[in-house]
Amino acid sequence: MTDALPLLQAAADSLPAYRDFPLIGSRAAVWIAAEIHLMFAAFVLGVPMFAVVTELIGIVGKEQRYDRLSKEFTRLLLVAYSATAIWGVVLTFGLATLYPRFFAYLLAIFGPSTWVYAGLFFFESFTLYLYYYGWDRWKHGRAKWGHWTLGVLLNVWGTIVMFIANSWLTYMMSPPRDIGPETAPASIKLWHAILNHTWMPINVHRLIANVVFGGAIVGAYASYRFLAARTDEERAHYDWMGYVGNFIAISALIVLPFAGYWLGREIYQYDQSMGITMMGGFMSWLWVIQAFLIAVLFLAGNYYLWVGMGRIPGAERFRPYTKWLLVVLVLGAIVWGTPHTMIADSRELTAMGGSHHPFLGALGVMSAKNTAVNLMILTTFLSFLMYRRANIRPVVTWARTGTRIQGAMFALAAAIVLFYGIRGYFVDAIVRIGYSVYQVGAVLACIVFVTAIDVMMARGAQSLGAIQWGKMPARSQYALFILAVTFTWLMGLMGFARSGIRQHWHVWQVMQDTSQYAATPALGYAAIMISVCVLIFLSLVAFIFWLGGLAEKSTFVPEQEKEAQRVGH
Amino acid sequence: MWATNLKIVGVVLGTLALYTLIANKIPQVQSEVPRSLTLGANVTPEQLAAAGDEVYRGIGGCTTCHGLGTRAPNLLTDEKGQGPIGARCGRREPGKSCKAYLHEALAQPGAFVVPGYEPIMPDMTRTLSPQQIWAVIAFLESQGGTVDVAASDIPSDSQLSPGASPGNQGGRGIAGGSTDPMTLFRGAGCVGCHKIDAEGGVVGPDLSHIGARLTAAGVREAILFPDATITKGFERFAGVMPKTFGDQMTASQMEALVRFLAARK
Repeated sequence: MTDALPLLQAAADSLPAYRDFPLIGSRAAVWIAAEIHLMFAAFVLGVPMFAVVTELIGIVGKEQRYDRLSKEFTRLLLVAYSATAIWGVVLTFGLATLYPRFFAYLLAIFGPSTWVYAGLFFFESFTLYLYYYGWDRWKHGRAKWGHWTLGVLLNVWGTIVMFIANSWLTYMMSPPRDIGPETAPASIKLWHAILNHTWMPINVHRLIANVVFGGAIVGAYASYRFLAARTDEERAHYDWMGYVGNFIAISALIVLPFAGYWLGREIYQYDQSMGITMMGGFMSWLWVIQAFLIAVLFLAGNYYLWVGMGRIPGAERFRPYTKWLLVVLVLGAIVWGTPHTMIADSRELTAMGGSHHPFLGALGVMSAKNTAVNLMILTTFLSFLMYRRANIRPVVTWARTGTRIQGAMFALAAAIVLFYGIRGYFVDAIVRIGYSVYQVGAVLACIVFVTAIDVMMARGAQSLGAIQWGKMPARSQYALFILAVTFTWLMGLMGFARSGIRQHWHVWQVMQDTSQYAATPALGYAAIMISVCVLIFLSLVAFIFWLGGLAEKSTFVPEQEKEAQRVGH
Repeated sequence: MWATNLKIVGVVLGTLALYTLIANKIPQVQSEVPRSLTLGANVTPEQLAAAGDEVYRGIGGCTTCHGLGTRAPNLLTDEKGQGPIGARCGRREPGKSCKAYLHEALAQPGAFVVPGYEPIMPDMTRTLSPQQIWAVIAFLESQGGTVDVAASDIPSDSQLSPGASPGNQGGRGIAGGSTDPMTLFRGAGCVGCHKIDAEGGVVGPDLSHIGARLTAAGVREAILFPDATITKGFERFAGVMPKTFGDQMTASQMEALVRFLAARK
């Protein structure tokens, strides 16, 4: 390898730095290839995580419907997998031909890791095939546990593959500080480049985000099948599947901001000017759009739950509260979306009378925003709790006390969030940053303890009637589509933020982008690109799911059919 | 089913259109690639100020701290009732004109630090050319004051020796080529952030006993690659120290400073 590197470098030096792509240009071509590859990759990495969990629930709880659900998740995975690989190849060829010198630079550093990546991809593929095609063969006893282990292995390979790819892009963002423009790439140690400042925060952030994304796409798939269902039974199955997809997406979404906060902090620690560019520089408006998208996610997710309560006997008693939950969500969204440190020209600054708006400036600070988002998370959790409790009446002797304790925990968490939110206005920034930890801690503690109490209270609870799966108005399913589109768009937007803060650098302050596309575009152009990518991705997803449906029937088997099979036996 | 399919397509396209529309309705800011600045002998104050505006918002990175209201004084808007920078710069230091004050603020930011702020500003002559420095001064003067920067203030390219980088006076090193460590310590602007005994700032680690913590090789590395190792407790100032001392000092200056610091046990 050491002999090959100088040759690679020599070849790179003789290459043209850039080539152009017809019509749309090289930047747009690579942007589309990278974005769509990433969307498929996120889906095929996220879905196995909860497929394995639902399979485990099925094994432990001896509930066949979870096993069927898990198999259906995996079937979606199978058809999406080849699309991931195809777009990965398109991206690689795009980079190699349009940005040859930069590509050669990366290969000179990361060459050996690409071989490991390719090797693991083989392992991952064959594990997936074994996992899916062995489903019915290894169905019982120890063989079933062996099958489940294959699912775990699939996740292990997938995670390592993602970590390797993450090292390449995080190196571009935060190369180790002793590496400069004059450093020969062949002299850079591989592990040194991999272990860069933002590698692990991105790994964790993407791991969680993949689950969110996978849940949302599965939810959209289920909602489509629900709308297309011909029988009540099929409708009931896909209603349940849509609910599970939404539950997974929203549950993981609640944790995601904490991982994002860690990533942001690491970016600031690596290079403060990069952090400020991201939050207060030319990208400052991006966070207002992000706040709007998150507001849509919270509202659509909660709306789906509230509408879903219509099919749960006993849920009527909670209905009067939903309007107040809506008020909290809307107010929270407004505060979160309030601009604060925006890039402004002299005229705008003069018109505003300072660097911040005299009234709105006070709402746009992190104290107010952290308070708003934590209260929104608490509100969403309350919606879930009401949904969970809708058709049961606890019979344990301490039920009333338990409910009061739960109420007190909510009140205490909200009070802690508000207290530190207000106090944050009166302390230094360095102290204020620490307050967000207390706010998040209070909310997480509330979620954990209230859930624990709820699980104990639900033991032996009196049922007020079974959930009438399938009796869901069609409008609720469109909410799931909006969730899927919004999650996908948000992923594109955050990808632009992460990549765009490098500005005119391929590798931050090491390798400058000198192409005609070096300027980082404004949000309007980025939004068009993101929308194009989302549209291509969703169209392909619809197409390959349709293709998958042609080849194989759904794992859902209607009762009549099952009966017929039994008779046949 | 066709009606349902059309509705789904409508929801997807409608959602995408809404997000795209909102993103196109907000102010559009593109991050441009910094351009080198060439000023002719007949440059007007307006041209200078316009060029300075570009440097201020672009390569200068001034907006990173100025204008946020927390890290550094506001320059384009009022600061504590004294007006924007062009209106107040002539009154900052007694006997110093606006132009001289602004030049000092950019070239020796540690010399006068506005009360209430920390001395975190780097010496801008290390990253900006003299043309860019004077353009920024003209731009700042234009913010509520009168631009009196003239073409004669700006050294022509021929006055800089070939290959000279910003802040590097043609191979003589810094501080007039002196090898006296304390002269270098002051002349290189180290004093703006680091303290030796009673002299200096507190943005970077105290160097009074640096020799007890670092060997000569460690001191040399810290000067040449300041971000290679960040001293505990100073993580938030990572990236502030310039990485250009290796280019600016002569070898004998560097060694004199390294020996001096390594001996401070």
